[in-house]
Amino acid sequence: MDRRHFVLSGIALAAAASIGATLGIYGWRQSLSADDNNRELVLSAVLPALLYGALPEDATLAAAELARTKAAVNDFLLFLPLRQQQELHQLFNLLANRFSRLGMTGHLTQLADLSIQQRLALLDSWRDSYLEVLQQAYHGLRELLYGAYYGQPEHWQALAYTAPRFR
Amino acid sequence: MTSHLDASRFTQDQQFEADIVIIGSGAGGGIAAEQFAQAGLKVLLLEEGAYYTRDDFVMEERWAYPNLYQEGAARKTRDQAIGILQGRTVGGSTTVNWTTSIRTPQPTLDYWQSEFGLKFTGVNELTPYFEKAEQRLNIKPWPVAPNANNSVVQHGCEALGWQYTVISRNVNGCANLGYCGMGCPINGKQSMLVSTIPAALALGATLISRLSVRKFSWQGDSITGLDAVAVDQHFQPRSDIKVSIKAKHYILAAGAIGSPAILLRSEVPNPSGRLGKHTYLHPSLISGALFAEDINGHAGAPQSIYSDQFVWPDSDHIGYKLEAAPVHPVLMATKLLGTGEQHAALMQQFNQLQVTIALMRDGFHPQSQGGSVLLDNQQQPVLDYPITDYLWQGARRALMSMAEMQFAAGAKQVLPIHHDARLYNSWHEARAAIERLPMQKYRQTVASAHVMGGCNMSANPAKGVVNQQGRHHQLQNLSIFDGSILPTSLGANPQLTIYGMTWLNCQRLLAELAKV
Repeated sequence: MDRRHFVLSGIALAAAASIGATLGIYGWRQSLSADDNNRELVLSAVLPALLYGALPEDATLAAAELARTKAAVNDFLLFLPLRQQQELHQLFNLLANRFSRLGMTGHLTQLADLSIQQRLALLDSWRDSYLEVLQQAYHGLRELLYGAYYGQPEHWQALAYTAPRFR
Repeated sequence: MTSHLDASRFTQDQQFEADIVIIGSGAGGGIAAEQFAQAGLKVLLLEEGAYYTRDDFVMEERWAYPNLYQEGAARKTRDQAIGILQGRTVGGSTTVNWTTSIRTPQPTLDYWQSEFGLKFTGVNELTPYFEKAEQRLNIKPWPVAPNANNSVVQHGCEALGWQYTVISRNVNGCANLGYCGMGCPINGKQSMLVSTIPAALALGATLISRLSVRKFSWQGDSITGLDAVAVDQHFQPRSDIKVSIKAKHYILAAGAIGSPAILLRSEVPNPSGRLGKHTYLHPSLISGALFAEDINGHAGAPQSIYSDQFVWPDSDHIGYKLEAAPVHPVLMATKLLGTGEQHAALMQQFNQLQVTIALMRDGFHPQSQGGSVLLDNQQQPVLDYPITDYLWQGARRALMSMAEMQFAAGAKQVLPIHHDARLYNSWHEARAAIERLPMQKYRQTVASAHVMGGCNMSANPAKGVVNQQGRHHQLQNLSIFDGSILPTSLGANPQLTIYGMTWLNCQRLLAELAKV
């Protein structure tokens, strides 16, 4: 089919425009395959923001919920079509990459160095971006991460919900 | 006797032969398997998903979505603007649907007659086949009081003087649990999984699960065989185990995305140019409402009341059907708005949340011609479905109707599922806000649970892929028995249409095969 091979290349191109085409293209070509460290880095930065207000205040409990959610994300990704898996790998890799981060976030600092409010503002800026690819990233990440978090029965206490059990 | 084979356990390439091979075990394939097995033919039923049964159904979304749905229930249109819920397991979507059973609306049949030359009278009268399917699957108006989630639809309609109907459901011994979408754990739902498929297997049919059909071989006007591969534990097609199958007649029932994909990969004749085109979704809008009392939208039959007040408007506008949707943690968390504290606060009102959906009847207007199935680099299907201004206008009206109905039923606040919306405290406030919401993709959430078209039937070969009996216009030993043959959407949940139409077309095909 006549489809863009790299849906998120728009991000890389935005990065390229801001820091020079060579580096941008370099980052873009690097970014299709899974990199566990990059995914871990991005999830560790985005989840506490997305789940702010849902995670327990107790740091140990919150860490356990985050770990459970990350494991659920990793397990779920493999069920997506390869096309979508590649797009997500690319998003994680780009967000973890120092150069493309500038294009996406306007920051050269690590995502983890941003405050929770700055991270939420960043997500909101993707939602409201004129770039379709950033809007897709906002909705794609949101759905993936909220699905992974609220899929776990251990996280349902705040909902006052329990699934029925009869066997 | 081994009547079920799991292709993922094959250790070497395999060949099979049968009288009839059926690709897909959902509403079309399931009905067909029983009909042909009863006729004494050697039937092979192929399914890409796994053969999970009641003991596997743990009523948790985290297990059900990856294991029972296409693409982990995260299937999206090409631009990711519409989410698509579609089954991928033995029984297809019938294993995970919400049991709503509605005969094909007469205005839809009338439209097909005028536009596609399809006549559902005489030998093609569907009524007796709807009756047979209703009897076979115990389809009856739900005799139990609706749950609170559906009562809102009823009470809102009553207050406004709007039409509403008690839904007929394909259940037997239903315990009113509310987890139909995760697979019925007590075999109450009369899906293909528990009815026609076990009956076909008992009559000698063979089921091969975890098998992905890649392409047909064909020559002249005939299919000569098909190639398939086993899938891995995540349902990704593997390249190491190949299966080839020959049959006298081939029945394609892989759904309105899967069936066109197989034919596109096979590069079959397509003189009408309509293969994989005109795919319809009942694009659906969502409206949440908070009530003072508990709604517990996760408990009880997920759909028991619908309203057809707006399905067939007098004007040129698109029609839409109003229904309730069940409320489960993942389904809600992924659709509710915002991030951080805003999202967490909405989730905390989970039990007070009522959810109404409006399903737009696409395919009946020049500006509603549906989408196209394409193949990606892995040769897997992806649906391109542009949302036209005509549809967006309908979406705004649908949000209005839902909010009006929810307030009329006593909602404290209403939340249209649109990323620029917030909780509104009155119908007056909601109406003013909805009038101004930008109708754009991504900002306006759109979902679908009904995929139709892409191999449409038409009396005239220039205007369709198959004839009224589902037989391919160019390939004489190929029939298509699934939702892909519908020339438009239905304006009603599709399972009973597919049951009745497939049953009729099986009888017509058996009669024709007997003549050869």
